[in-house]
Amino acid sequence: MMDIVEDLWAAYASTLGFAMVNAFFALATYATLSAGILSFGAVTFGAAGGFLGAQMVLHSTVPLPLIFLAAGLAGAVVSLLVAMIFLRLESHWMALASLALVLITRVVVLNTPDLTGGVNGLSIPQPLPLEWLAGLLVVTVGAFYALDRSWYGIAARAVREDTSVATCMGIDPRRIQLIAMGISGFVGGLGGVMMALMLQFVSPDTFFIHVAFTMIAGVVLGGSHHWFGPVLGAAVFTALPTVMQAFIPEMQDIGNGAALLLIMIFLPRGLLDPRAMRLRRARK
Amino acid sequence: MTLLALADVTKSFGGVTAVGGLSFTVRPRHVVGLMGPNGAGKTTIINLISGLLHPDAGTIRLGGQPVTRARPHEIAGGGLARTYQNVRLISGMTALEQVIVGSYLRRGTSLLASILHLPAARAAARATRADAMDLLARVGMADRADTLAETLSYGEQRRIEIARALASQPKLLLLDEPTAGMNAAESAEIGRLVHALRDDGLTVLMVEHNMRLVADFCEHVVVMNFGRKIAEGPPAACIADPAVQEAYFGKQRDAQRHRA
Amino acid sequence: MELFFAQLLNGCALGALYGLFGIGFGLVFATMGILNAAQGAYASWAAIVAMYAIDLLGLPFPVAVLVGILAGGMVAVLVDQIGFEPLRRFGPGLHQAAMLGALITSIAFWIMLESAAGFATGQQSLAFPPGSYPAAVFHAGPMMLPAMQAITLAGLVVVGGGMHWINTRTRFGAAMRAVGWDPVAAGLGGVNARVIVIATAFLSGGISGFAGILSGISTANVSASLGQGLMLKGFAAVVVGGYDDIRGTAIAGLALGVLEVFCAQYLSSSWRDGFAYALLLGFLMLRPRGLFGSAGFTRA
Repeated sequence: MMDIVEDLWAAYASTLGFAMVNAFFALATYATLSAGILSFGAVTFGAAGGFLGAQMVLHSTVPLPLIFLAAGLAGAVVSLLVAMIFLRLESHWMALASLALVLITRVVVLNTPDLTGGVNGLSIPQPLPLEWLAGLLVVTVGAFYALDRSWYGIAARAVREDTSVATCMGIDPRRIQLIAMGISGFVGGLGGVMMALMLQFVSPDTFFIHVAFTMIAGVVLGGSHHWFGPVLGAAVFTALPTVMQAFIPEMQDIGNGAALLLIMIFLPRGLLDPRAMRLRRARK
Repeated sequence: MTLLALADVTKSFGGVTAVGGLSFTVRPRHVVGLMGPNGAGKTTIINLISGLLHPDAGTIRLGGQPVTRARPHEIAGGGLARTYQNVRLISGMTALEQVIVGSYLRRGTSLLASILHLPAARAAARATRADAMDLLARVGMADRADTLAETLSYGEQRRIEIARALASQPKLLLLDEPTAGMNAAESAEIGRLVHALRDDGLTVLMVEHNMRLVADFCEHVVVMNFGRKIAEGPPAACIADPAVQEAYFGKQRDAQRHRA
Repeated sequence: MELFFAQLLNGCALGALYGLFGIGFGLVFATMGILNAAQGAYASWAAIVAMYAIDLLGLPFPVAVLVGILAGGMVAVLVDQIGFEPLRRFGPGLHQAAMLGALITSIAFWIMLESAAGFATGQQSLAFPPGSYPAAVFHAGPMMLPAMQAITLAGLVVVGGGMHWINTRTRFGAAMRAVGWDPVAAGLGGVNARVIVIATAFLSGGISGFAGILSGISTANVSASLGQGLMLKGFAAVVVGGYDDIRGTAIAGLALGVLEVFCAQYLSSSWRDGFAYALLLGFLMLRPRGLFGSAGFTRA
């Protein structure tokens, strides 16, 4: 009996861990989306944090918290550089450019084996304590809550919903979006190092297009208008394959896709939608 | 002493001149009407003044500062606020939140302090909220403060939009057809509000194509047709001007003559 | 010199695949504003169906290709009607919420179609049976032109020219653009928006499917992931060429193919994708309207 519980926990713990790691990526995507930018850049910021973190674990004795900080800062530096070039683009082109950035990231990772291990990747002999992961996620989610309530959050909402109206109210959309990109970079970098430590391995495939698509899907699924939406979406999106595996193991991916499709069609604004909640409250 | 001055402002879209060589000034504490038939270029002027468009030629000065090439948020920072012909409130926000966004420029705290929820920032936020409530009360919407704005009637949304524009404590308020879609009683109410605001020291430039409303609301009128100024002066004189009569009624008269 | 010409031809043939796929991909993006992540799966499925049509049904090559194209088109219509149609109530095609929603549903279909394609191929890389497709080699002096490369290049010319003609000379082309800009207004103008949308999706899937079939033959690889490589480069061709410019997409596709082959030959084979994507990024930054697009495009 104890064995079954332990087995369950073993399987469950890793799912929980990946759900939390994915939550970082989803939050990084939400950070830009909530300021009106559709960007897949979090993958690139994740790669910056992930490979830097991996190298620091392998070649230094820096304690974990400092590695996390460094990874976040690496992501933020990359994101701010990208933002300075990309934010001139209109939103559709910005989305496409960020997709191109993900493709280029892979080529760069493959071709800088000294830094990234190239095609073989890097193995990282350092487990990630789940309580560290959970603690950092709680702090990050708390920060997103605080951001949402702040003047930054109010201005970002205005920029997202109607940029032209926002700018006529004195809000500088580029400043808001630059901050959004910086936050996305920091959180994405954190997610990258978490992913690397969780997998105990990083390779060019760790940060590629499927990650971009899953994290966008996670955000939209959970609700892209609510600070907790991305966490919820990432959890559902990580748990779904496990659940599907239990019921229809060989049709797992098809089940995932179908679930995603149904949610998009019937809940296009996601599971958590503050506007719908308010409308419901108003009707009562 | 002028608050707003346009000199020889020209703007064309793909060869079509929307505004041609337009000059006029707005003095402080006046209500100025910008009128003209549909398609005269009134909304283009509003967009040029607020910085959403830039003129091809000419200069615009706000409070003595040239703002011809300035970006909209810089012009807003210079003391300009506006409303829209088709009300543009922000989806998902309550009436009170709409007005709070409008006070972004007067938030009285840095973004960082606000993110960190420092005590000073919290106090500033409370003050902002109280001011926003006062503004809602001023436009008669205090009892709807916590209602999702998009569920309110068109007239109510217009009033919230005016409260939002006032929240930045502008020097100059641009109203783009503030009474469109309102009945006579609601329009008169807007007129009283505009006069009260002027008495408090605000300057208002309003676009209106309804001549009767312009005559009632404004002290000074600029009349446009096909992007050019055809008359300027006190409302009664402008409306009586043959060129204005021609622009507004010319076609109907011609039609009547043909029928007769 | 012979090597140069042979590689030039290889590059053109490879680029023609990118161009063909890109024309299908760009059609949906230009008319409906949808960035379709499932587009690659249309190519995979068309190739798989065409291969089985030969392998299992013994159909002759041209018929099998046609069957594969039909399959690609039908899958595209299926995806459009199930995945995109419910989102069109958001409003005109280029609305951000609708675009995001369509991107997510297309990701859902991508996952499903690719996984189903994995079952169809038994998770293996298969190939068209040898001898089932034209394998002749034409000689012109020192140059050799394998029949499949000739077919691929001819395919790009015919499809590109045909689509250009449809777009500029026919009522259907005008209707596609009208529906893309504003389905409601197009509906009022007497265009049956739904029929046009379905026809556009079918064309798009058929063209990308054709590219998939040709790619499956020339690389001797028919698998679930066939479409993915085509999609990334086809996407680059669309952006570099201009997303609503068929001529530009075709030329950009050819250029990308040649660039890829020559980079691999003369510079560095591991960086060859990097050049293509850097070109893509450069165009997005400097000429977002593409090769022949108007340069005066600014942030709205």
